[in-house]
Amino acid sequence: MTMRLEQDRLAADAIDYEKLIQRDRVHGSLYTDADIFQKEMRDIYESQWVFVAHESEIPEPGDYVRRRIGEQPLIVACGKDLKVRVMLNRCTHRGNMLCQSDAGNATLFRCSFHGWTFSNDGRLQGVSFRGGYEQSLGELRSELGLAEAAQVGTYGGFIFANLSGDAGDLEHYLGNAKDAIDRLVRMSPAGGIDLSAGWMKHDNNANWKVVNEVQVDGYHPLFVHESLYKAIKPAKVDYSSDELRVAVRDLGGGHSEVDYTAEYQAQDREFIWFSSIPRSRVPDYIEAMEALHGPERTHDILVDGPPHTFIWPNLFLAEMQVMFIEPLSVEQTIQYTAPIKLLGAEEMSARIIRQTEGAMGPAGFLIADDAEMGERNQVGLHAQEPEWVLFGRGFESEKVEPRGITSYDRTSETSQRGMWQHYRTLMTETTND
Amino acid sequence: MTEIQSIATPAGSVSAELVDFVVHEARLADENRYAEWESLWADDGIYWVPTGDQKDPQTQVSFVFDNRHRIGSRIAQLRSGRRHSQTPPSKMRRQLSNFEVLSDDGGEVELAANFSLFEHRYTTTIWAGRYLYRLRYTADGLSLVKKTVLLINNESAIRTIAFIL
Repeated sequence: MTMRLEQDRLAADAIDYEKLIQRDRVHGSLYTDADIFQKEMRDIYESQWVFVAHESEIPEPGDYVRRRIGEQPLIVACGKDLKVRVMLNRCTHRGNMLCQSDAGNATLFRCSFHGWTFSNDGRLQGVSFRGGYEQSLGELRSELGLAEAAQVGTYGGFIFANLSGDAGDLEHYLGNAKDAIDRLVRMSPAGGIDLSAGWMKHDNNANWKVVNEVQVDGYHPLFVHESLYKAIKPAKVDYSSDELRVAVRDLGGGHSEVDYTAEYQAQDREFIWFSSIPRSRVPDYIEAMEALHGPERTHDILVDGPPHTFIWPNLFLAEMQVMFIEPLSVEQTIQYTAPIKLLGAEEMSARIIRQTEGAMGPAGFLIADDAEMGERNQVGLHAQEPEWVLFGRGFESEKVEPRGITSYDRTSETSQRGMWQHYRTLMTETTND
Repeated sequence: MTEIQSIATPAGSVSAELVDFVVHEARLADENRYAEWESLWADDGIYWVPTGDQKDPQTQVSFVFDNRHRIGSRIAQLRSGRRHSQTPPSKMRRQLSNFEVLSDDGGEVELAANFSLFEHRYTTTIWAGRYLYRLRYTADGLSLVKKTVLLINNESAIRTIAFIL
């Protein structure tokens, strides 16, 4: 189904994005202008692939979660055919929100306004007092099923949806970020991850791009997280060292990664990415991994660890957490964080839940302060002078490599440059139509 | 967790000692008196802010699930002077009411109270919910064994909670 028959002209279509987004700087108004936000929702969130849920959240027929893409409310449901559907949460009669629960299991949704019912695959089931319509129930049913996302695809259990139908193939969209999902899944001795531990939801008074930029920023930890490193425990790597073998990589398509693999391999130590716990803390996990991969490959996996990869525009694989965002308005973004349970590794998964609570979410030792930076950033951006936000750091040090534009200075703003170049392409394409 | 229906605490029967303890604990939290607040905790203390009223902390994520060690880390971070999300610190005042004793075996007592918390930091945020306490009678008075904070909005997106709830 085509979600929009024709493009509405928006005030922000007239803006010259080539001018506002330069290689090493972007204009501050891009974070504060409500017209631009409206265009972003149309031309990015509602036109492109967006992460909406993980299969482990809706494993059984009838399971559903409520989400949104841009400003549009959704139901993501598993049908009795086990097919995942992404439907707009709007009764086709008078537009009432059909489903109110955040998550649940239902074979049908009944509109509370006039009692119309829809099966969880979106088909219209029943129309109350249908004698009031001239068409037959069969005709009504064929015309008035719930609207669905034009494309739904999954990779490694991650469900992505595209409302427009114009976003191309999912794997093409994932591009060089696809490997990150593989890398995450291989951390499980049963070849899968599970997000059933649930989400922490954090309300940020910041533009969605600010929230994304903080997530991928390799320059801030020594300053923003000083209280953690000094008062509680040192950072996993020495952030003040220039010798650190860390690659910051623009993977193309707005995706980016901070790749610690070379540093971890040089140290040849397992679990640097997980508080350097000894193997003896998770014997079941080690045993299951060695049974699957053998000792050498297991050692390599435990040295390399999980990915630290941002998938444009809203998903962040933050090592043992999955994070995603929902932009609510130009100044408000909801950040979701779930610990990753590794299938076949219960002890390890239990530890990941505790680690997630320590670091992440509204009370976390790390993220509470990152959110504070994002909110201060949002306030500061309202000042009209200077007009530009600088992203030139490390530009000269970048090299073009097969996986993407790479800087070996972990403080480089390569990730943010990658996001912004992709953003410029998406915002300009529609403008020039 | 004790079901609310099974509680039948006669009015006025919650001892002054119990009420005084949790009112004092609330005051220390309100006034960001971190070291004094930390000293209320037993060695096996658990400070828990779940993401829903019916969650199992062993299999589901919480906003906070601090054992005594992590309570110490949380306080050390707050006292570092570099906890940006509490710089400046929140100004807070909270009310406790509707006290009920859920159980009392002579060694430990479970107490419940409703709370409303007014937090000001740039803007004023209202927090509300139910506190569930497990308190232990010791030779030196009461100590805090468990504090559970059931926020009314715990299934929704919440603002930053870097202060002591």
